[in-house]
Amino acid sequence: MRIRGLLSLVIATIMISAYVLVVRQNQPTAASAAGRSADWAPSRTPDGQPDIQGIWTNYTNTPFEVFDEKDNPALYSGDPDGTGRGTGPGFLNDSLGRNLTKGRSLVVDPPSGRVPIMPWAEEKRNYRLAHIQDDWVNFTPWERCITRGVPGGIFPTGYGSGYQILQGPGYVAIVYEMIHEARIIPVDGRTHVGSGIRLWNGDSRGRWEGNTLVVDITNYNAKGNLATNAASQRVRSVPQSEDLHVVERFTRVDEHTINYDAVIEDPKVFTAPWKVAMNLNLEQEYKLFEYACHEGNHAVPNTLSAGRTKDRAAARAGSQ
Amino acid sequence: MQTRVVLAAVVILILAAAIPVVAHHAFASEFDGSKPVTLKGTVTKMEWINPHAWLHMEVKGPDGKAIQWMIEGGAPNALLRRGWNKNSIAPGTQITVQGFRAKDGSNRANGREATLANGQKLFLGSPGTGAPADGRDPSEKK
Repeated sequence: MRIRGLLSLVIATIMISAYVLVVRQNQPTAASAAGRSADWAPSRTPDGQPDIQGIWTNYTNTPFEVFDEKDNPALYSGDPDGTGRGTGPGFLNDSLGRNLTKGRSLVVDPPSGRVPIMPWAEEKRNYRLAHIQDDWVNFTPWERCITRGVPGGIFPTGYGSGYQILQGPGYVAIVYEMIHEARIIPVDGRTHVGSGIRLWNGDSRGRWEGNTLVVDITNYNAKGNLATNAASQRVRSVPQSEDLHVVERFTRVDEHTINYDAVIEDPKVFTAPWKVAMNLNLEQEYKLFEYACHEGNHAVPNTLSAGRTKDRAAARAGSQ
Repeated sequence: MQTRVVLAAVVILILAAAIPVVAHHAFASEFDGSKPVTLKGTVTKMEWINPHAWLHMEVKGPDGKAIQWMIEGGAPNALLRRGWNKNSIAPGTQITVQGFRAKDGSNRANGREATLANGQKLFLGSPGTGAPADGRDPSEKK
């Protein structure tokens, strides 16, 4: 019996190792981009759109911003007590089993690699992050399982950074693995919805400029956060106003790569427009698992409960 | 025996293909890194729920009375990529869990590692949450 079990274990090990090897060999690498041809052009969908369909990932070791010594990584990563047990300045990555590159920063404009956040917005972020145990309004919409936002939903994080792009006549749809969001982008020339309609993820309208999908996003509500995950560092939990305007560009530059960038302007939050850029890598064998985020979100009540416990302890200490 | 082999395969898969994950909420807002806890008992339920899985277990107190504990694990899709599934730990399994207690003093903990009766170990935490580095997380930077 023991020998049979051992034999099964060896077989299982060989099968799993072979599977891991195949998966790892299929990881996109910088070499795939090297095979790019200047005259390469994407095939067309039946309705004539450049075909950008597939399953794409954007795991990376590149930090969101260029680090500055005045930054407070423990705060940005959610360490309200300042115990030093936050996630630290390192970019959280999915590096094991992946051949990831590390560039200077995902923020490419301004050239400093720093997002020009207004002081009031930084103060609001600092307050929210330091008082997350006080009130649910201080949580990011991601922690509340509402949304990671647009464009924030495509900012890479350590897991669940998979995206499926589908195209039908007049539409491009993106399914985001992280908290299972779906986004439908009309590309049929229709105008934005009326200014009275305000949405967490704004109103997306796409058009094709050559082989580039250009998406214009307006009509945001003022409830969301531009970025929600700790890997977005200083931009995490920064508020957004109704004046937020985003222009995204998706260009498939070869079979395996989409160049993605987004220009973000919000005159109430940033002193100037800024641009974030990254590659989406084709990874057809990657499985997008459902992430039904709200079904058991104990994190919010547990965090608030921890805050109440701290308050009671402080009150007892004060009355003695 | 078959169960043991499957569990052993799960452990190997974890070691071979461990993918570090990042929880979407911070460890420090819920759990106390200065309060490690080791719980030995019986699994009563594995909740395969999002955003984080929860393992329920019964632990006998010093007076022999059963106490219910809830242990937070990683996100189901991250655990799935590590080789876990909802049947990996069946109710009735004897288990030892090491983790960190909830800050509100309730019988909840952030799980780091589970050890089965035969000594096999399963990593169930969410690296990158800010939980103290303790060598159990295969993605921890050395």
